[in-house]
Amino acid sequence: MLLLEYHNLLIHQILTERFNSPTPASIDQVIPDFDGVIYHISTPDVKTKILVSLSIKCYNDLIRYGAQEVLQREYGSYIVEPESGYDFSLLLDLEALPEDQEQKDDLIRRVSLLKRNAMAAPFERAFDTHYTLSAESSKFTSESAPSSSDTEVMAIQYRDEEAIYIKPSHDRVTVIFSTVFREETDRVFGKVFLQEFVDARRRAIQNAPQVLYRTDPPLEIRGLKGVVDTGAGDVGYVTFVLFPRHLKPDRRDEVISHIQTFRDYFHYHIKAAKAYMHSRMRKRVSDFQKYLNRAKPENADRERKTASGRSFRAQN
Amino acid sequence: MSASQTPAVVMDNGTGYSKLGFAGNDAPSWVFPTAIATKAAAGGGSGGGRPAVAQKPSFLTGGAGPSGHLSSKRGTEDLDFFIGDEALNAAKGPGYGIDYPIRHGQIENWDHMERFWQSSIFKYLRVEPEDHYFLLTEPPLNPPESRESTAEIMFESFNCAGLYIAVQAVLALAASWTSSKVQDRSLTGTVIDSGDGVTHVIPVAEGYVIGSSIRSIPIAGRDITYFVQSLLRDRGEPDSSLKTAESIKEEFCYVCPDIVKEFSKYDREPDKFQKYVVDQGAGRKVTVDVGYERFLAPEIFFNPEINSSDFLTPLPEVVDGVIQSSPIDVRKGLYKNIVLSGGSTLYKDFGRRLQRDIRHLVDARIRLSEQRAGTSVRSSGLEVSVITHKRQRYGPWFGGSLLGQTPEFRSYCHTKQEYDEIGPSIVRRFALLGGPGGNA
Repeated sequence: MLLLEYHNLLIHQILTERFNSPTPASIDQVIPDFDGVIYHISTPDVKTKILVSLSIKCYNDLIRYGAQEVLQREYGSYIVEPESGYDFSLLLDLEALPEDQEQKDDLIRRVSLLKRNAMAAPFERAFDTHYTLSAESSKFTSESAPSSSDTEVMAIQYRDEEAIYIKPSHDRVTVIFSTVFREETDRVFGKVFLQEFVDARRRAIQNAPQVLYRTDPPLEIRGLKGVVDTGAGDVGYVTFVLFPRHLKPDRRDEVISHIQTFRDYFHYHIKAAKAYMHSRMRKRVSDFQKYLNRAKPENADRERKTASGRSFRAQN
Repeated sequence: MSASQTPAVVMDNGTGYSKLGFAGNDAPSWVFPTAIATKAAAGGGSGGGRPAVAQKPSFLTGGAGPSGHLSSKRGTEDLDFFIGDEALNAAKGPGYGIDYPIRHGQIENWDHMERFWQSSIFKYLRVEPEDHYFLLTEPPLNPPESRESTAEIMFESFNCAGLYIAVQAVLALAASWTSSKVQDRSLTGTVIDSGDGVTHVIPVAEGYVIGSSIRSIPIAGRDITYFVQSLLRDRGEPDSSLKTAESIKEEFCYVCPDIVKEFSKYDREPDKFQKYVVDQGAGRKVTVDVGYERFLAPEIFFNPEINSSDFLTPLPEVVDGVIQSSPIDVRKGLYKNIVLSGGSTLYKDFGRRLQRDIRHLVDARIRLSEQRAGTSVRSSGLEVSVITHKRQRYGPWFGGSLLGQTPEFRSYCHTKQEYDEIGPSIVRRFALLGGPGGNA
């Protein structure tokens, strides 16, 4: 598994099972997902009405950047008043499902993408801003184009100590992740891994987005609320520069899904790399053990003598 | 830290199946075989006559190809594997070999187990291990070195926030607290854990397993399935596959109080005989008659001689023997709280029959000792009670879920900081979760 899935496998499985089973059953499960997201899937009143609730840390940030419209577009009539303790709820009535199997599968897929869709809002807004800006700037020649540094930087505090910053402009969309490593080992692995990202463009894949990694806040977000340069270098900043070819409307959903999972993908691979290192270490140790087992002393029963030439005799 | 609010991850990796989920839920989120399918020779050298593995395009392996020494590889082969049901499917095709990293309850292949966990956590449970506490299980008499290796993987590879390793039998006892028959939440009792491969009888006193008294019986789910299958074959039923036998076992079997009476009851009431329809695929359906195997199959726990002559001690006698070999001061508690766990204890009236048979043994012994004593002193008797409850099938997992959601669970865990301070030996000891002192 190279990439992480975008949808929640468990929700997908539960809904598929419920949608296709003739006998309704009660469900009450709390399902965490990456980045402190918690789903609650339950049948509070009757067994045929499934309530799917989502709790996400940065919900207020997302609402500010237009999550409401995106969710409205994706889920429309399924949206209900949020369950207490959660931010967003959907109610699926098993008796009022679409007849068509394909539509059913589509609904399952959409519900299991709940987190992705909620997180997509700021990205979509940034992409839209980029389209309008680039349409405007195409009216000017390159010399007289207005500077576009005055667009708002959207900050999404999606974890306690980590955030995503998105800044659209007329020729690019910049996405910056701040990352924190508590472990020295992880930091080293992370650096090596990110170096691969930085080099990818140089080596093989010419049309990959540009990736930059630094330990002080990049210019785009310097001075923002919550961005402090401690100078200690324990916070890393990963910058992705998405160019218009990544922002084409037909690829946009894919790009958004990909970039959202970056942090989890990154941490997953650091851990996978450690697991790989461990298996190599185990192999090496077992090889060494084989050598040691082979290393038997030659004629061990040679007679040993003291300095004065006397020898010991084994006592029986 | 956010790890104190997120639900703990509960993982019960058994020989056959792994049960994964989150504390507080009433059922595991995922139950799949503890199997991993990896590229090419699984476990080294088993791919003797196998066709060559399909080569990756060179840009993925950095031009080195899959051959040669490990260090020459610069690819992603280590990520090319499947676990669980997907592993079984992948192993049917070419190129993948299957391995079961847990044998007899203990982890044998750490490389595979580490990757199994990696995929469990990131693909199936979808959590960042740094944000969660973990509750893992181990079989009784697990060597402490094995615990240490587990801790190394959980803390060093995955940086999990905290870890608790509990003994399966103790968790099974905790799971029985949901039964209405249990009033005091004690961790003293006898656990009968019967899965697919083997049945264990494990006495637990105050949360500690009495290792010297554990007995295991080579009769479990698989043997019952084979027994049903042999009966079907003898009768010449149109379908006697293992799968059919398994479904019949799960759907129709129950435990009867007395075989002889049960046989005559079948003679009187023909509707006891049932029919099972097998869909053989491609629209072909055959009907299989289901008869005496309904009560005969689970009977091999109580009368093993009807199945084979390898093992002849009935389960009630084994349980009685286990308790008799335990220290005398805990025997009363062990008789009073006999807890069932595992899929092969789910037969209807299994608990009732077991309780009756054990009580007979106990009463006979008491009567004998009264006679020997010769005085007119009468014993007040001994309470024997077998607890059947709704969570039996995934007993250890459910017990873990129950204990993992208590507020004090986190204080029983060893955290990453403590591990970094002391090292792997820290996991040799855990404070007893839900035991005396805790009010779980």
